[in-house]
Amino acid sequence: MKRLLLFLLWGLLSIVPSVASAQAAPQLQAQTDVDTVAVGDVVHLELSAQSSDGVPTEPQPGGTPGFTVRGQSSSPSQTHISINGNRIDHFGLTVDWTLQAQRVGVFTVGPPSVLVGGVRYASRALTVRVVPAGQAPQRAPQPTPTPFPQGPGFSPFDPWRSLFPGVDPNGDERGAPSVTTDPKLALDAPRGAFYFLHATVDSTSVVVGQQVTFSVYEYLDESAGASIEVDGADVRDPSAAEFVKHALLRDEQQALMAGFASVGGHIWKVSVVRRWALFPIHAGDLEIAPMSVTLLRPRSVAGTKRTTEALRVHVTEPPGAGRPPGYALGDTGHFSLAAQVTPRDVEQGGAIGVHVELSGTGNIPASITPPARTGVEWLTPEVHEQLGNVGHDSFGGKRTFDYVVRVLRGGDMDLGELSLPYWDPDQRSYVVARAALGTVHVKPSTAAPSASGGTPDQELLAGLPATRDVLEGTAPTHLHADDRPLFWLLGVGAWPAAFGIAVAGRATGRRLARAWRVRRASPATELRDRVSAANTASTRGDARALDAAIARALETATIVHAGVNVRGAVGDELARRLEGAGVAREAALGVAEILRECEAARFSPDAADASSARDRWLRAQGVIRRLEKR
Amino acid sequence: MSVRLLPLMLLLLLVVFARTARADDDEATLFAHATQALKEGRAGDAIASFEALADRGVVDPVASYDRGLAYATRVRIGAEVPGDLGRAAHGFEETRDLSHDPRLIEDASRALVIVRSEVARRRTRAGQPVEVDPGRSLGRAVAGLLAEDTWAGLAVGASALLATALFARWLTGSARVRVAGGVAAGISAPALAISLAMTLAARHDRLELREAVVVTPNARPTDERGIALPGATPLPEGARVEIVESRGASSRVRFGTIEAVVAAGTLRDIAR
Repeated sequence: MKRLLLFLLWGLLSIVPSVASAQAAPQLQAQTDVDTVAVGDVVHLELSAQSSDGVPTEPQPGGTPGFTVRGQSSSPSQTHISINGNRIDHFGLTVDWTLQAQRVGVFTVGPPSVLVGGVRYASRALTVRVVPAGQAPQRAPQPTPTPFPQGPGFSPFDPWRSLFPGVDPNGDERGAPSVTTDPKLALDAPRGAFYFLHATVDSTSVVVGQQVTFSVYEYLDESAGASIEVDGADVRDPSAAEFVKHALLRDEQQALMAGFASVGGHIWKVSVVRRWALFPIHAGDLEIAPMSVTLLRPRSVAGTKRTTEALRVHVTEPPGAGRPPGYALGDTGHFSLAAQVTPRDVEQGGAIGVHVELSGTGNIPASITPPARTGVEWLTPEVHEQLGNVGHDSFGGKRTFDYVVRVLRGGDMDLGELSLPYWDPDQRSYVVARAALGTVHVKPSTAAPSASGGTPDQELLAGLPATRDVLEGTAPTHLHADDRPLFWLLGVGAWPAAFGIAVAGRATGRRLARAWRVRRASPATELRDRVSAANTASTRGDARALDAAIARALETATIVHAGVNVRGAVGDELARRLEGAGVAREAALGVAEILRECEAARFSPDAADASSARDRWLRAQGVIRRLEKR
Repeated sequence: MSVRLLPLMLLLLLVVFARTARADDDEATLFAHATQALKEGRAGDAIASFEALADRGVVDPVASYDRGLAYATRVRIGAEVPGDLGRAAHGFEETRDLSHDPRLIEDASRALVIVRSEVARRRTRAGQPVEVDPGRSLGRAVAGLLAEDTWAGLAVGASALLATALFARWLTGSARVRVAGGVAAGISAPALAISLAMTLAARHDRLELREAVVVTPNARPTDERGIALPGATPLPEGARVEIVESRGASSRVRFGTIEAVVAAGTLRDIAR
């Protein structure tokens, strides 16, 4: 009996807590409005919690892989019932999360949970299938709201609320919940009204073959309230001719929601329309030409274009120092090699299979160089690839190469190893991915006893000379004779130049002598001589000689300065000749008078007066100057 | 200079010399590995090492020669990669240009004939013209008969003779000397013109001429836009061509009397 009592007591003790806990656990119910949605569409995850022990608080949606939480609305409720003095309380909470599908796949959402009395209770997880845009089944039409809606959501203080679907109890529109803007998507200013495009690259300085993630975002002004339409026939994709391009979006026709951004005081809905993995193929400043679209609506901007920025990426080559043998420019990323050789035993002349898997991120090389060695013939491999986006925005995957390898020599044949040197941009160093192929046991062939590689192919390139072991070294560069200017000036040019100078010198001398002679015989020279003779005669005080010199000087002056020969002319005839030649009358008369005076003095029987002669010479000089100035 | 700076400078010099010595050592080791691999029939490894040497700027006739042999060996052992024959020819051509060792030049020439014979054989099978080496133009061949300095010396001699002859003819009164001067001038003037032209041609070749070897089996001539010319025969693999103009992705080349635009990637420049 005692034992029975103890058993009953133990039974009660074990039952009471479980009953207590059963009472405390709220009733939870989770559901989604649809189970299949398209990328970009929204699905509503609803959790209804009812508890009699406490108010459900702090609702959480749980895991939402493949979705982004765009909004949340909560409807708390309380019911108090009093029966025969016993009060029964019921607390309820209905939470609606708006989830937007981001990528294709089957995702488990939740489990959503709430906190009741300090304990978190979770409902069940739900499965939602996301299909490519446009492929989702049509949703069942929403029931038309009745003019007088009843039910848990009805509020007597806002009877019209349910007439406008999408409006939650807090007054926010369900379609445009209060959004959280992403600072990463913010810009200094919008690049256009209503709608614009913006392009970015994740890095502007890379090495050849390193991935540059290029994204084009479209910004849609949510607050404009205008319907925006882009001309689908006039979408010009960006051009990146100097890059190898791989699209990272599965479907470039469908924009992928990226978030919301605050630009210029407006909230813009931002979507990714292009995301490419670009691999530069050579060094230099490479350009990514802009993308452009034409707007059709709203009408105020119809026909205008929206373009992205033209971007430049500075591309360099990985350093030459430490570059491993076999490195090919462009092999940049993170790669690994694995190889399987089957079978390991083969007959001479037979074939084995070598399966090589090259995987990693980056622009996976399209080929690998097998370890060529004598007696092993690698046939062209069969290549398979599984390439695409790895993670969020990396390109990669794997390529497999299935070789058939003929082994032409007997014995244990070491196949060597496969290697792929590459540049690791994260570590900023060269790395060599390796896969050892091991040894193959080659048994002598019964079919081809002398087949030690003795196929007709061995005749190929027969007779090649032997290798050399010692470097010759580079010959020292010397300056050639014709590199020196002296060679051209003295060596080649000086001799003919000397002859030319001699010939030219002689010719010039002759020409100068002739010119000198001509110059000596000119009237101007004669005039100078005559003036000089007159000055000499004036100095000596020989009046007759001076008069004669004055007469000759004046006659020569008229020839030089007026072009008139007055020799032999007398009286008015002389003056007329000079005036006819344009000489001023006063000067002409002066010449005539002085000449007459000189004539008279020279042939006068009286003794010549030196002072008069000097006076005439002074006047004659004045006349000559006047003739010279005319 | 302060005494304190002396140890610092010595240390700096030591570091510089050590780095240079290490680089030389690396290259020697790489060459040794390459030749060893070539001797053991590991053509792929040998090629990788020889190409790494070339990437490091090592220009040596023996390295070029062995590199050519490595490519030829890969063809011979049945592991040919398209372009191997062209690259082999490139190595041998480079050796002929760089080397001063007559025996090495002879070996390279012999190997070049073997490689080009194979190219010609394949082109014959494909029904394509078999001319692989049209040779140099007449002017370039004449210029190549003598060394550039020899042409320069001849030009100096001819110049001096011409001037002397002219002086003699000009200054002397003797009829014999005048006739002799006229004859000498008549000979030395064209000699001067020819030697000068050859000196300039040799100098131009040395300073300006860029040559390359076709290293792909199908270097198709294209138009200016890079579109293959219809009916044009591909330039033979291993052919030596003169680069007339480089335009980034394409090059205008002269092959015998043919002038064509080909993709730059189909050519490999010959080091000088």
